[in-house]
Amino acid sequence: MFEFSSANQKRIPEILAKYPNTQSALLPLLTLAQRQEGYVAPQAMVEIGRILKLSPGYVQSVASFYTMYHMHPTGKYIILFCINISCQLNGADELLEHTAKKLNIKVGETTEDKKFTLHREECLAACSNAPMMRINDTYHEDLTKEKIDKILDSLD
Amino acid sequence: MANDEVTLTIDGQTVTAPKGTMVVDAAKKVGIEIPVFCYHEKLGPFGCCRMCLVEVEKMPKMATACTLAVAPDMVVKTNTPKVEKAQKGVLEFTLLNHPLDCPVCDKGGECPLQENTFQFGSDDTRMEFNRAGQDKATPLSPVITIDRERCIACQRCTRYSDIIEQEQALVMLNRGFNNEVGTFDNQDYDTKYSGNVIDICPVGALTNTKFRFKARSWDLKNVDTLCAHCACNCNMTLGSRLNKLMRIQANTNDHVDDGWICDKARFGYEFIESKNRILSARSQFDGEPRDLATKDALALTAQTLKKIADEHGAGSIGFIGSPYATNEEAYLYQLMFRQGLKTNNIDHKVYEDLPGLPINHYDFEAVESSNLVLLIGSDPSEELPILDLRIRKAITRKGVKLALLNDQSTALDRFAETALRYDVGFDGAAIGALASGLAGELGIDIAKDGSKSGISDKEMKALVELTRTSMKICVVYNPSTLSAGSLAKLRQLLQLIGKIPTVECGAIPAAPATNALGAMDMGLLPGYYPGGLALTESDEIKKRFGNDSPLQAGLSAMEMIEKAESGELKALLVHRSNPVVDFPGGERIESALKKLEFLVVHDMLETETTQLANVVLPSVGPGYDEGTTTNIGARVQYRKRGLMSEGLADWQIISQMAAELGVERNYQSSFSVTAEIAESVRGYEDISKKTIKKEGQNRQAIAGVVGDLGNSGESGPKSKKGALRLRVAHYLFANDKILDANTSLAHHFRSSTVHVHEKDAKKMALAEGDAVTVSSGHGKVSATVAVGDRCNPGSAVIERISDEQGVSGLQESGGISWVEITKE
Amino acid sequence: MAELKLLTKDIDKKDLHKLSVYETTGGYGSLKKLFEKKPEEVVEMVKASGLRGRGGAGFPAGLKWSFLAKDVFPRYLCCNADESEPGTCKDRLLLEKTPHLLIEGMIICAYACLIETGYIYFRGEFQHASDLMDEALEEARAKNYLGKNIMGSGFDFDIHTHLGAGAYICGEESALLNSLEGRRGEPRLKPPFPAVEGLYSKPTVINNVETLCAVPYIINEGPEKYASFGTEKSKGSKLVSVSGHVKKPGNYEIEMGTTVRELIYDLAGGIRDDNKLKAYIPGGSSTPMLPADLVDTPFDYESLAAAGSMLGSGALIVIDDQVNIVESTLRLASFYKHESCGKCTPCREGTRWMWQLLDGIHQGEGTDQQVDKLVDICDNISFKSFCPLGDAAVGPVASSIKHFREDYEALLKKNAEGAA
Ligand SMILES: Cc1cc2nc3c(=O)[nH]c(=O)nc-3n(C[C@H](O)[C@H](O)[C@H](O)COP(=O)(O)O)c2cc1C
Ligand code: SF4
Ligand code: FES
Repeated sequence: MFEFSSANQKRIPEILAKYPNTQSALLPLLTLAQRQEGYVAPQAMVEIGRILKLSPGYVQSVASFYTMYHMHPTGKYIILFCINISCQLNGADELLEHTAKKLNIKVGETTEDKKFTLHREECLAACSNAPMMRINDTYHEDLTKEKIDKILDSLD
Repeated sequence: MANDEVTLTIDGQTVTAPKGTMVVDAAKKVGIEIPVFCYHEKLGPFGCCRMCLVEVEKMPKMATACTLAVAPDMVVKTNTPKVEKAQKGVLEFTLLNHPLDCPVCDKGGECPLQENTFQFGSDDTRMEFNRAGQDKATPLSPVITIDRERCIACQRCTRYSDIIEQEQALVMLNRGFNNEVGTFDNQDYDTKYSGNVIDICPVGALTNTKFRFKARSWDLKNVDTLCAHCACNCNMTLGSRLNKLMRIQANTNDHVDDGWICDKARFGYEFIESKNRILSARSQFDGEPRDLATKDALALTAQTLKKIADEHGAGSIGFIGSPYATNEEAYLYQLMFRQGLKTNNIDHKVYEDLPGLPINHYDFEAVESSNLVLLIGSDPSEELPILDLRIRKAITRKGVKLALLNDQSTALDRFAETALRYDVGFDGAAIGALASGLAGELGIDIAKDGSKSGISDKEMKALVELTRTSMKICVVYNPSTLSAGSLAKLRQLLQLIGKIPTVECGAIPAAPATNALGAMDMGLLPGYYPGGLALTESDEIKKRFGNDSPLQAGLSAMEMIEKAESGELKALLVHRSNPVVDFPGGERIESALKKLEFLVVHDMLETETTQLANVVLPSVGPGYDEGTTTNIGARVQYRKRGLMSEGLADWQIISQMAAELGVERNYQSSFSVTAEIAESVRGYEDISKKTIKKEGQNRQAIAGVVGDLGNSGESGPKSKKGALRLRVAHYLFANDKILDANTSLAHHFRSSTVHVHEKDAKKMALAEGDAVTVSSGHGKVSATVAVGDRCNPGSAVIERISDEQGVSGLQESGGISWVEITKE
Repeated sequence: MAELKLLTKDIDKKDLHKLSVYETTGGYGSLKKLFEKKPEEVVEMVKASGLRGRGGAGFPAGLKWSFLAKDVFPRYLCCNADESEPGTCKDRLLLEKTPHLLIEGMIICAYACLIETGYIYFRGEFQHASDLMDEALEEARAKNYLGKNIMGSGFDFDIHTHLGAGAYICGEESALLNSLEGRRGEPRLKPPFPAVEGLYSKPTVINNVETLCAVPYIINEGPEKYASFGTEKSKGSKLVSVSGHVKKPGNYEIEMGTTVRELIYDLAGGIRDDNKLKAYIPGGSSTPMLPADLVDTPFDYESLAAAGSMLGSGALIVIDDQVNIVESTLRLASFYKHESCGKCTPCREGTRWMWQLLDGIHQGEGTDQQVDKLVDICDNISFKSFCPLGDAAVGPVASSIKHFREDYEALLKKNAEGAA
């Protein structure tokens, strides 16, 4: 069973109020569910479908289109490492490798302590401050190995 | 030329097509084939496969002919080198990761991908990598197999689920190259109309699980025929090999099915090979079954009926016909009983209904062209799936509004402008309230039914307003859900709507049985001859059916049961009907039938009733039989034989018995009977082999009597301590003789559930999931409690989910059925 | 040479994202002038300014506003803040530093087009920008720059933020509308165009962040002033995200027509380690790359098109001579394969096939015929896909083969030698 927390329950009418139809609230509610649980479980899709009067199949169809929705539990910190062209030109591949090694996982994996999940990511619009990574909602730019180490070490 | 016609040029040919036509379809008109994959006429333009690229003068880019509407003076070219290169390129992309398993693919021989490749593709591949290798055959449901490797992502199937069935059950998952057709959390795709995706998939990705590897498409003998499961009468193609049924496919008839069939049509045919089939006649006296030659059985039946009629009077024998029989069978049976045995003890149903309508009889197309569809007591989603799809289409794509008046919630509620719920048993009051509301607006005075229906005055007023202000109304009502006395009110309502000067109006009497309308038209009624001729119209009856046609009122089906009980009815012939299970009254029915001196049952499958029969006659049934049926939209169509049977057809059996009783005709085929129907049955004048051959033909309107305007008595009592008023809901996919334990549709079977309102659940201390016994004066049914708002307080709904469940044992004939619920 | 700062003149001011600070820079000053004019006059001003869409296609903004289906209401305004084109990061700058400028621009557009509701569609990763925007919107509502009867003008307008969830295609305007309506971000059939049937099937204006941010200047200073900058057909200023192998990457607001050379060498400090310029991609990853000898091309719509590329979103990616171009091309091919929505066959299958071929060549398994085949595949996708993403995917592949075939050959030769 999935339920929105009472704080999130309160936010639902605010979200719905933005749009003339309920379906438009689909992405916001999926995001809300993911922020609550760390990922979007099938039960969450059923619940969102119930609220918005959409079939669970439809909800999954939409959710699975967008890469930011995780369908499985993730680490506490999700590291999205940009490897697209501007970052690549500035050595992103090597830094990504460095990060993976430091966390002792492969790209796409989650550390055993469920603290970090590491993903390769396409361009995140920080090209003139390449290379960069996004950890949860925060952009970290102009990366170097040292900077990465410092950032990762500072997270608890 | 009409204003909405557009003239353009395609490959140098001048083409004229209605505005809004897509270039692909316009090209087809002059024999130019533009290859397509994703385009399907019923799904509308989508433009994703890019197979149909053409060049259009003055357009910088090539355009997809499936999304391009015709425009005046447009110049289209479909065969330039540029187009050919594009077609080759698109096909190459399409085949890039498509497996080369045509030799073992069920679609082989009828595959658009194969055909387009042959015609427009190149003969070698430049793909040097391993194909993506998606999952091979996996079950999408018990009846559909999906081969994702073959899927070309045309989205026809998912658009079907979205646009046509409005379920969004089959969807596109993921993105880009990882796109795949699937369902929520890998659950079965099991809507009631899921099988249509098999027909529309342009490759072998979605296949019929039952048909897989059974036969090659080119080895099949295909016969265009009709489905015999419900009163929609959808068109379908029966494919057989060596006289064995291999598969059923949809066969578009826009007047009826719009190109779709439900899963019961497609997969629910195992009964054809059921071990319960009655293949030969038998007698059964003193509990001793004895095989009989059919000929002897017919003679025995005719002579015995005659003897009893002679001894005890024509009133001592009766006939219970079938709403599943063809028009020809029904016509012949009434002929045999009326002319051969001189009785009007003829009926085919246990609810009230009358032939003809006091207003227009609308067909399925009228549903689309109306402004308002008003459903009364009808639940098409459970009773008439393809009418359901037509209504969904009307609402979602044709801007039609939907209003519901019912005693239970239905799947269509979510599409409705307004869905009003009356208390079970108070349909008369609800219909009366709507009628008097309209009458008030029209300044007509009608008697009022004072009882409260459970619908507030405000809600009813809104419905009156919606009705009054709609330009064209299609009323769809299910007479079999109406209480005694309500039919008159309904007909009064229809007539009133017809009187609103600004409203055009018609109705579809939507009783669910296959030929429910035909049975009435053919006079399987105690008070009406074929063509809705009331017994009082004696001159007309004599003119059409002979001077010695019986004119005294006959017994209805339930009256026959009562007279059997009292011993006044001595003999009964039952055709394709199973009163023991289906008639209200439970055990009472069986004991009444046991009292008969002579019971003949003419059926295709063994039933509880055949067990009681003194003579059992074989009926070949759908697949093997042929004749016409009249769907609830009054369309008469021909159900062609798809398989050969050794036994006699029903029309032969009946006409031989009739001959034995002195009603001699010289029928050469079932069409000879059809011809006689055209001659003697009002409304069927235009029906002939020729006129109905392809798409069928609507029969003429049959004028119907209006209900007795004066008689608006109050509805029954509102409450009875500790009891609820029962509504039995029809469910087409029930586990009965047709869908027996061997059916591949068993996943549709439901468990016995009694739906009660929260308020009653609280009062009666019932909780969701409680195992209970529901009982009435006649019988008991085990069920699980579902608490919700399926019905109003004071009411209970049980779906008829199987023969074994025995719900009709709870029902009262006429009046309200009160039930008590006790925890097990 | 210097920048031309029309939008970004105060961008480095501390706390510019706050209303109070924004107002000290003259913020919202255009509204008074705005409400003195008739809506159609405003449309004419924007037309006269020559402002063209900064999101990629470069369509004249005023003209777009004038296309709205007559007499159909409600209408919607969608600000495209999806900014997903690799190389582009200028909208994020505006969104985070000067959200009120966008709000001001949106108010002007809405007033001109008789719109009462606006949405800003942020790419999902712009949570921070969206939060800042929500605060800015609250401030603007509190001061009645938004809401009912704005500043007593009788005009009502409000704006809502909406976040995507990771899909490049949602930058394409019709896919954006689908996404905003809670659907898969697949593009829609056109026609109907958004101006006729857009969001919720109503007439809709869709403009890029930078386009809308340029509008207050036009109202404040007049269209003539704006049009006095730039070239004959490319007016005003353009924010260019410079990235890649330059010493000082960053967003520079330049006058249209400034040369690429000036951008790279004067503003961005030249090539890293003083290497030689090899190639540049002028308008984001979708625009064809150009070789070093075209470095004197003026940065404007016409000149870049004449050079065989496009201005696109204005994202200059600079590549020096230390790189084999196949590697960069492969990376972009991989991006388009990842981002193809999968709706149409050429794009879905073609992007993956191109990536497979490039990967093969890069890994040492290619043949010369494969390069020709790539060219042909590009031709089979170009203008045959459902939306421009397919064409975009072709851009880097076709242009890299056209200008740097020797890089492919070098790899193939190396492979051949390695095999021998
Ligand atoms: C594949 C694709 C991606 C796009 N991405 C963006 C984007 O991220 N931001 C943007 O403003 N426009 C993007 N566009 C352009 C939009 O479709 C649209 O033209 C633009 O938002 C219109 O605004 P403008 O006229 O102000 O430029 C994209 C177009 C395509 C085909
Ligand atoms: S399964 Fe068939 S109908 Fe469905 S998307 Fe694939 S090819 Fe099209
Ligand atoms: S048939 Fe036209 S794009 Fe598919």
